[in-house]
Amino acid sequence: MNDTFGTYHPIINFIYFCTVILLGMFIMHPIFLCTAIIGAFTYSVFLNGKKAVRFNLIFLLPMMVLVSIINPLFNHRGMTILFYFRDNPITMESIVYGIFTGIMFAVIILWFSCYNEVMTSDKFIYLFGKIIPALSLIFSMVLRFIPRFKEQLKIVYNAQKCIGRDISSGTFLERMYYGIKIFSIMITWSLENSIETADSMRSRGYGLRGRTSFSIYRFDSRDTVVSVVLIMLIILVISGILLGENSIIFFPLIKTSHITIISVIVFIAYFLICFLPIILNMIEIYILKRNKKSGDLDVSVYNK
Amino acid sequence: MQRKSGKVNVNKCDNKSKFINTRSLLSIFLYLICMPATILLGIYLLDDRKYYIVSMLIICYAMIPFYVLFEKRKPKTREIIVISVLIVIGVCGRAVFFMTPQFKPVIAIVIISGACLGGHVGFLVGSMTGFISNFLFGQGPWTPWQMFAFGIVGLFAGLIFHKGFLTPNKIFLCIYGAFATFFIFGGIVDIWTILMFTPSPNVETAILVYSAALVFNLIHTVSTVFFLFIFAKPMIEKIERVKLKYGLIDTI
Repeated sequence: MNDTFGTYHPIINFIYFCTVILLGMFIMHPIFLCTAIIGAFTYSVFLNGKKAVRFNLIFLLPMMVLVSIINPLFNHRGMTILFYFRDNPITMESIVYGIFTGIMFAVIILWFSCYNEVMTSDKFIYLFGKIIPALSLIFSMVLRFIPRFKEQLKIVYNAQKCIGRDISSGTFLERMYYGIKIFSIMITWSLENSIETADSMRSRGYGLRGRTSFSIYRFDSRDTVVSVVLIMLIILVISGILLGENSIIFFPLIKTSHITIISVIVFIAYFLICFLPIILNMIEIYILKRNKKSGDLDVSVYNK
Repeated sequence: MQRKSGKVNVNKCDNKSKFINTRSLLSIFLYLICMPATILLGIYLLDDRKYYIVSMLIICYAMIPFYVLFEKRKPKTREIIVISVLIVIGVCGRAVFFMTPQFKPVIAIVIISGACLGGHVGFLVGSMTGFISNFLFGQGPWTPWQMFAFGIVGLFAGLIFHKGFLTPNKIFLCIYGAFATFFIFGGIVDIWTILMFTPSPNVETAILVYSAALVFNLIHTVSTVFFLFIFAKPMIEKIERVKLKYGLIDTI
């Protein structure tokens, strides 16, 4: 399924992921945590489909359990002692704390898995090309060189095979010797070849004043609306954090702040942030469906 | 001819002092103002996750001056390209050995680049290899730590071997490689594990994590020494040859 959020301007994607990852790193309030993990999980499944579910079950769940177990074993604070493990008290507070830390860990990993799908390397170069030109040039050169390196490796490998240096036959030492030989040839080739690239770029005027760079992203009205909404939500949530609306104290006793009107508003704002990509996708699907229906009608009218 | 070269040198010196000024101003701002501010903010504002967020921000601050210096220096195209080729070798090295966990040639390549081209280039090659290879392997909260750890290994390699404290021969490189992989890289990256697993780190957790990571760090160390032992001499020769042939000595 196509992701609508990924088609928005890269700066919105980048700010969005910075926000959710940073907020996800330190909000420990159970309601916020649940919102974040449901939002991140839904979006990652939306983006990756079956792959995400498999990854979550195989990798993330055991990690969460591990984090949850490790915490109470080494953290003996808290009032409610449940039992003793090798003369060390295991408290209920530290168990709850461990579970929450595990969920938080999962939230961050899930957001990063979405980030990897949405923030592709070309978007990254687009965003940082102006601020860090030399480094982003390195970045894009590397991405270009990797497939070229691979192609050349095939050529060198076949040429070496022709003169009897075949990696797939011979004793272990011989194979290793041939492998190293090929690697050595590759390094020489890439260093020499790269200098040619550099000279070619220079003679075409790289780095001169007034040169424009290629970009396919445009900041349109749709982006303006989403960015204004996003910034307002971020301000709401951050001011809520500063007011202490999401605070939770684990030790010595678990204690959360009282639910007030303000905390409900902050919670709704956080909910909207976490579900923003999903909401945008839903709106897009709805609009598409409606247009399709009216489009059908139009066609039928036209046919008559 | 002589006059011309003299003029060039003067210009270079001027530029150099300017770079140093910008860099030192920025470094002072980052190290003396931003870092303490972040730590204080962390102590007073964030209660539970302070260690994690503060340490991540500090690692990012520590990397910024290197990048800013590189941008300010207005590097020549040739220099940029040579650096990117070294990064490509690192990234491909990491990708080729994807089957064997921890058995990677990345640190060996970073050390060789640092030793041949100086600490700054070593840092750039290391941190950018960490960053770009994570586009293939997946970015995560570990990215800044990996970038910083690879970068620092390259930086020290440059300071030790390029400045001339030790000659970059096979034995010294292998000894440094073993030390750097086990203590510097392993040490820094495992801090991430500790902070990620427990929000309130203590000595017991640290011992647990470090002992759990011991085997992985040992494999990594062995692989670095292995690759340095095999590739150090030919790779250094190749880089020196390119430096000489295309006149990169002055620029880097």
